[in-house]
Amino acid sequence: MSQLTHEIREAARKLLRNKQAQLVIGFEEGSLPLRGRPCFIRKEEDVDRLVWTSFSDINVARYLAKRKEKVALVAKGCDSRALVELIKENQVSRDQVIIIGVPCEGMIDRPRIEAEVGHKAIVEVEETENRLTLKGRDFEKAFDRREFLYERCKACDHRNPVLYDVLVGQLVEEKVRESFPDVEAFTALDREKRWAYLAEETGKCIRCYACRNACPLCYCPECFVDTSQPQWVGKSTGLSDTLVFHLVRAFHLAGRCVACGACEQACPMGVDIRKLNRKLVKDVKDLFNYEAGVSLDEASPLATFCATDPDQFTVNP
Amino acid sequence: MIREDAGILRKERLESLLEDLLRDHLVLAPTRKGELLLLEKIESARDVVLEDGKTKNSAKSALFPQRERMFAYRAEEGKVDIQVPPPAEEKQILFGVRPCDARGLLLLDAVFGGDSRDPYYVDKRIRTLVVSMACVNPGPSCFCLSLGGGPCSSDGSDLVLLDLGDRYVVEAASEKGKAFLQNPSFEEADEEAMAKAEKIRKEAESAMNPASIAKALEERLEHVDDPLWGDLTESCLGCGVCTYLCPTCHCFDICDEAAATTGERIRIWDSCQFPLFTQEASGFNPRPSEKERFRQRIMHKFRYLPKDRHMAGCVGCGRCVTECPVNLDIREVLEKLSRAEAQ
Amino acid sequence: MENPYVPFLMKIEEIVTETEDEKIKTFVLSFTSEEDKERFAYRPGQFAEISVFGKGEAPFGMASTPTLPERLEFSVSKIGVVTGALHSMEKGDMVGVRGPLGNGYCLEAFRSKNLVLIGGGFGFSTLRSLTNYILHERNRKAYGDLTVIYGARKPGLLLYRRDLETWGQRTDLRLHLTVDQKDKEDGWQGNVGLVPNVVRSVAPSPENAVAVVCGPPAMMKFTLPVLRDLGFSDENILLSLEKRMKCGIGKCGRCNVGSKYVCSDGPVFSQSELVRL
Repeated sequence: MSQLTHEIREAARKLLRNKQAQLVIGFEEGSLPLRGRPCFIRKEEDVDRLVWTSFSDINVARYLAKRKEKVALVAKGCDSRALVELIKENQVSRDQVIIIGVPCEGMIDRPRIEAEVGHKAIVEVEETENRLTLKGRDFEKAFDRREFLYERCKACDHRNPVLYDVLVGQLVEEKVRESFPDVEAFTALDREKRWAYLAEETGKCIRCYACRNACPLCYCPECFVDTSQPQWVGKSTGLSDTLVFHLVRAFHLAGRCVACGACEQACPMGVDIRKLNRKLVKDVKDLFNYEAGVSLDEASPLATFCATDPDQFTVNP
Repeated sequence: MIREDAGILRKERLESLLEDLLRDHLVLAPTRKGELLLLEKIESARDVVLEDGKTKNSAKSALFPQRERMFAYRAEEGKVDIQVPPPAEEKQILFGVRPCDARGLLLLDAVFGGDSRDPYYVDKRIRTLVVSMACVNPGPSCFCLSLGGGPCSSDGSDLVLLDLGDRYVVEAASEKGKAFLQNPSFEEADEEAMAKAEKIRKEAESAMNPASIAKALEERLEHVDDPLWGDLTESCLGCGVCTYLCPTCHCFDICDEAAATTGERIRIWDSCQFPLFTQEASGFNPRPSEKERFRQRIMHKFRYLPKDRHMAGCVGCGRCVTECPVNLDIREVLEKLSRAEAQ
Repeated sequence: MENPYVPFLMKIEEIVTETEDEKIKTFVLSFTSEEDKERFAYRPGQFAEISVFGKGEAPFGMASTPTLPERLEFSVSKIGVVTGALHSMEKGDMVGVRGPLGNGYCLEAFRSKNLVLIGGGFGFSTLRSLTNYILHERNRKAYGDLTVIYGARKPGLLLYRRDLETWGQRTDLRLHLTVDQKDKEDGWQGNVGLVPNVVRSVAPSPENAVAVVCGPPAMMKFTLPVLRDLGFSDENILLSLEKRMKCGIGKCGRCNVGSKYVCSDGPVFSQSELVRL
């Protein structure tokens, strides 16, 4: 990891010095153990804030919309995929961004590792190669980081950035994921079980909109929840309103969501938001043979009409 | 000497005490739901988890729920009939909340009380007993001491439990608390236990940074210039996590939910971090971006409320620090602001 | 315990379409119980939250004067959900009312002072209430000279035509009406010019005087320096602020400006108070 940190800093330094970018958006150490966070570097002397750790986990493409200056983005696979969609949707122009691509070996699932040490307060974290050591007031425990990655990281098949101008580190081997075992397992359940699961997850939601605001593809200046004329969905935490919010957001992201998991990570209540999004990712793949965020040349299926688009719903109602 | 304001609860008696209370009270206590520790209504004493620190949600949920019916109405044929829900009758006990949450209730008491008392809050409040659990191992995100509280503070509590290892020392902090100590589950407090408790308290406090934030800020905050706010808040997502999990944040919205001829007016939590919060009918918004809205939050908590109500709008619980999706740390913000050059 | 969130019912007696574009209507409401009427003791400058059950609540300044206690009047501009719903209501329909809320104009402090009331557009509502209150035979002698300056974008957008006509015929006030622009066809005989400019040309004396300003933000922003130039001190310039409000009683946090809540500490503030916020 520290080699990557060094290379990222060098790349950023060079870009700022040569005025190829006015801003570098990347990751820095958090203020607490087990945390990373986005940082915005405009001066060469601040470049050493940039790091690459197992906690560089939020999707930084979220910070690109509406910028006037030239930006260098430190992007792992999922960040770069979100960026591809943003470019296709004309929210960012390709020549406005310099992508510092970082091959990613997955990020640590914080809630899981906190549970693993019995929710005891963690005071210090050390990371070397694949070994993660957590220290508390009266304990010390070491883990193999590969066993504590987010589920989405374990299943990730775009660990390398799909688009980059500068590559740091070495490209890593990609897994080939052919199916959606998580979605299939869920849809195989009977109706009552699926409803019970969705109702339970929805019950945890506090309508804080962290999921929506962390999502790089949720950039609407006025979200549908805020429209009052007409009011599409109520603002309270009632089951019906909350579920409608999540369902409609998932549909608004159909064909655009790259399943990066920023939503479920931002959620303070541990709602399984990604489940709905993954179902739609699968549907889009099945219906249009399209995966979001992989290629700049592939047109987005829900934004383009093709004579061969499936239309069973119109022909066979 | 029999102390009136302190007692001992042996750990093996905790379960029977709780079962006893559950018989005629609504009891809310920390309980595990999946990977979350939540303050919720418990059905059985065995659901209570007292050792794992703060709950994800704060104690405000017990008195100021996220969704609350204010009244129901029926409107047809030119007549409107309003039905206000009857006042809360059930007594409730908040058992095992942390001192920061209990202290937060003091600000809510001031806001919802006053000249126009809020009956929805006050009805529940007068029927609530707060039994808090002192923190013997404050976490790295806790900063209650810097805001006039402390890991073992009794502010806002009726009773405070302190874990000695094999038993709890229980201290009353109000008349209600003293009356509660009459419960036969409690035994007499011995001098050894009290001395041990005092020692644990001092150790807990010395493990925290004592630097006081509030006073320094009140003055400084008058002079902070605009560009600094932009830098401090650049990563802010503008979501409502910090406000919703905060023990003292209390802003709300009022809306009607209607069917054909009937409906209800409800109160729901709202957040000053949302763009619509101050958006006026004309379309003009005095706080158009995250920068202004974040600034408002800091100013409201650390300058306006102290001016208006003589208490800060923060108890240093640290939830906004741990739960913020981008780890925007209010302590760092406050520190940078207090060092900013006077303009 | 009294519940400050529950409205009492009032009936719509009359709906007056004020403006040519029909966007502003004045609703005249009657009480459904003596008790409600007795408790609603208000003064000009206060406001009330009007409920359309099923749609919500919105705050409106009192447009009526407490010297005529049988009816309450509110002028409503059609913009959103609640105001839109109000505009489609009819005579006989019921609405909810919560109030009176806010601080209102400090009538005691106005006694024997000369008053300069400056209003623009929709903001003239509460100044109409104040003007009618002062003009009432019981009250007129308690106050000094009364100057009213009121402007709208066009002649067809001026509110309270009936009042404006009767006021124009009185000798115990000086009324200056103005429009931002006029069309040749509308027969407008009065001033043409922005309110701040009319204030400058009328040049009311600051001697023993209080100025009250209520209107759109731009109008208030440009009127303030004119008043200061004329010699009005900040303590004697009063402004009625508008903010998005909900509870109206200083609890929900929405209208917080500095350490004040516009709904309960205001909406009327002196300029010297505002500068300190």
